Amino acid sequence: METLLQVLLDGMLNGMLYALVAVGLCLIWGVMDVINFAHGEYLMIAMYVSYWLGFLLKVDPLISLIAGGIFIFILGAMTYWLIIRYTIGKPPLSALLATFGLAMLLKNLCLNQFSPNFRILSGTWLGDKTFQLGFLIVPVPQLVTAIVALVIVGLIYGMTKSTRFGWAVQATALDKEAAELMGINTERIYFLIFGIGGATVGIAGGLMPTYLAVHPEVGTMFSLIAFVCVAMGGFGSIPGALVAALLIGIVEALSGFYIAPVFKYVAVFGLYLALVFLRPKGIFGW
Amino acid sequence: MVHYKSLIKPWLLVVAALCALSGVVPSPALAQEKVIKIGTIFPLTGPVALAGQRCKAAVETAVEILNNKYPNIKVPLADKKGFLDGYKFVLVHADSQGKADVGKAEAERLINQEGVWGLIGAYNSSVSMPASFVAERAKKIFMCGASSSAALTQRNMKFFFRTASTDEIESHEFVEVLKWLNKTQKNANIKTLGLIYENSVFGKHAAEEAKKAAAAGGFEVITDVPFTPGATNLDSEVQTMKSKNPDALFGAVLGADYALMVKTMKKMNWNPKVSLNYCSGYQDPVIAKQLGPDANFFMGSTGYSPQFSKMMPAVAEVEKIFKTKTGGVPYDSDSIQESVAMFVLAQAIEKARSLDPETVAKTLYANTWTSPLSLSGKVAFAPGGQNKLSLSIITQLQGGEYKRIFPKESADSKAVFPITAWDKR
Repeated sequence: METLLQVLLDGMLNGMLYALVAVGLCLIWGVMDVINFAHGEYLMIAMYVSYWLGFLLKVDPLISLIAGGIFIFILGAMTYWLIIRYTIGKPPLSALLATFGLAMLLKNLCLNQFSPNFRILSGTWLGDKTFQLGFLIVPVPQLVTAIVALVIVGLIYGMTKSTRFGWAVQATALDKEAAELMGINTERIYFLIFGIGGATVGIAGGLMPTYLAVHPEVGTMFSLIAFVCVAMGGFGSIPGALVAALLIGIVEALSGFYIAPVFKYVAVFGLYLALVFLRPKGIFGW
Repeated sequence: MVHYKSLIKPWLLVVAALCALSGVVPSPALAQEKVIKIGTIFPLTGPVALAGQRCKAAVETAVEILNNKYPNIKVPLADKKGFLDGYKFVLVHADSQGKADVGKAEAERLINQEGVWGLIGAYNSSVSMPASFVAERAKKIFMCGASSSAALTQRNMKFFFRTASTDEIESHEFVEVLKWLNKTQKNANIKTLGLIYENSVFGKHAAEEAKKAAAAGGFEVITDVPFTPGATNLDSEVQTMKSKNPDALFGAVLGADYALMVKTMKKMNWNPKVSLNYCSGYQDPVIAKQLGPDANFFMGSTGYSPQFSKMMPAVAEVEKIFKTKTGGVPYDSDSIQESVAMFVLAQAIEKARSLDPETVAKTLYANTWTSPLSLSGKVAFAPGGQNKLSLSIITQLQGGEYKRIFPKESADSKAVFPITAWDKR
């Protein structure tokens, strides 16, 4: 029983990290119908931002997560302005290929600039700290990530549901032409949504060097899982992405421990396939 | 109106200049030079790119020494410019990304399109396997430095030669270490064994050899944990090991995954009594540095580390050149084998006095080669292409340094046993 609870806790904490990575992707897809293939590379770049700030200026990731968020907000907004807006109204494949190309460019730029060397940030405030909760070992960095994830997902959800900007975002997502007729500047909405979507993954990346090595390939698996979260949760549904991410974290942990560790991603992607067959629009899709 | 003929000459000049620049038309200087093209296949991108980049630098280092005159370097052929009456190596690099299919396609490209004379690589056993099949079919020599899967040299190939130890040899060494610890350490009582390895040709073969060696040595494997390389976390993997709590752990974990494994073990506050690692993240000096004190007390087989400099004095001068290519990072057990492979190949070509691959292959088998960059100082190949004189020492990271602990005659330090608990460091 003790082991089961520990496995569940680890799974939930990993699930919250997946949620934080996935929420930006979900937002961009929900509003613009664009799958951003460079999402994993945004994460990787934010990790580098946080790492270099920590390494060179001794800024802790708890602070540099803000810099990560701002940097990727700018990168996301620039991606929209310089690339994506030229694909709006074109076949969906054009945006997909454009972001795929951007992903390759960003990854290879980092390989060229920072080498494939992986880097670990030591001496951070959270470090490898853990505390005992009864028989459970609670890792502090992962717990803080989960709390940040909850706050960010809550803020994004709250923004879309209860602010004028959020209503404009919803209107743009539902019907771009109608929103424009109502006087909404949809181009500005797209610009900001790409930026905000980037900022959320930037915050995740800003935190992660506390417990994960930074290298040019680090975003690959996370982006794959983020795509599954978004698809399982229902494209564009923020609560859906959160629930799906938690489900993925728990399924990964349980199957990894009780079936076989090598089976954990098989179980995650198997669950995704089953869900796609049973409910193609995802858990919260409509 | 512009007459079209007036545009022809400038365009012809531009085309000719581009051809000359891109090498479509060989320049007179290149055409006269005696060159042997060698294709390198390493994972230059992907999860183990760091190791791949260092292997590439090791080959470049050897080629730089062989192509030029370095009288101060005490390795064969370093004291003269070129070999075989002025021949030089020219390298053509390819990136396998650590993927078998990409590595195989690159081997085909290097042989069929680039026209290389031979190949060297490919670090990942899973890539060396298909890439060397391509080379064998084309009757091209494939020099393999660091791939450790024993299966590679059990195929009776004619043109495949490996200089490093295999995971079969290392598994037996590890079991000997466990027996030695049981004999020499108070209350060691090591009986059970856990295996953690990446789910690849390298990892699976290492695990198979570990199981055979453990059975022969009377140890019971109680947990067998393969994992997906590049995983987002290793929580289930370490939790599985922790729940079984084996006395000893054998690991075949590369690059960033190794760092993640160590960090996860710390997070879960679990250690076996002893942890031995195949050619893996453990041997990487950058990992040792990045992990800091957390890397301490893990053990592994090591063919070279800067702490071995007194035993291998010739390495120092070669390593100076190597460091200029790696930003100051020294050789490790894997990368040094790629230099060894190139030096041995050059000696064989020189001795064979021929560029016929069959003659060179026969010469490689027929002789024992001087290799100051190898622990044993010599290289000789058994049928199948395995270096039968390969040697490694069991080291333990203590205070960030690779200390030699086994065998007794090579040891410079005592083993710290059992591994110090995380909360007592």
